[in-house]
Amino acid sequence: MFEIHRVSDSEIRLVGHFDASQQATASEVFDSINGSCSVRFDELDYVSSAGLSVLLYTQQRLSKEGDALKLVGMNPHVRLVFEYAGFDQIFEIE
Amino acid sequence: MERTFSRTLDSLSEIVSFLKGASDTLSLDEKTSFAVNMAVEELFTNMIKYGAGGDESILVGLEKDNAQLIIRLVDTNSEPFDLTDLQAVDTSARLEDRRPGGLGIHLVKCLMDEVSYEYKKRVTRIRLVKNL
Repeated sequence: MFEIHRVSDSEIRLVGHFDASQQATASEVFDSINGSCSVRFDELDYVSSAGLSVLLYTQQRLSKEGDALKLVGMNPHVRLVFEYAGFDQIFEIE
Repeated sequence: MERTFSRTLDSLSEIVSFLKGASDTLSLDEKTSFAVNMAVEELFTNMIKYGAGGDESILVGLEKDNAQLIIRLVDTNSEPFDLTDLQAVDTSARLEDRRPGGLGIHLVKCLMDEVSYEYKKRVTRIRLVKNL
């Protein structure tokens, strides 16, 4: 199960299991962001490399205008995946 | 224990259920269970992505051998794709220089203690070891 909610112009909430089969659904929401945005991970159990790709692509796009994603509330397992990928150096993780 | 899964991303949710059951049966802790799930999902996804012409199903097996967990993925009628021979991902590159390619395999290597690959008679066999 995976859900993505656009809570406001500056907040997205992820829920459940973000695997490769959810890449298109997530991309659609992330592609609609046009400024800095918080992404809430509190209810996200899992993120695959396909999920990381969506976040990377969005961060690269936003950075061209000086904007960025901020990732909030990751569980320790997901946090470790971000560290292994070196994504803790290109995202603000809170 | 082992099971075969259809070569489609829709199988990922069945894989999650299968691995959850296997983790319970083998009494794996949460951290190991997460690592196993991620490694299998990434490799399965890769087999779909780069092996469209392969046979209908892909086998996933797990067994515990003393202090090790052995995970196997077997893909029949597949093309060669040696994941142990890929260029390393630069995890310290600047944001604008990052590319998503190879990230999944990089994560598998980080999460597992051993990763081996064998390709014989059009059959790909991947064997992972996780020390418990």
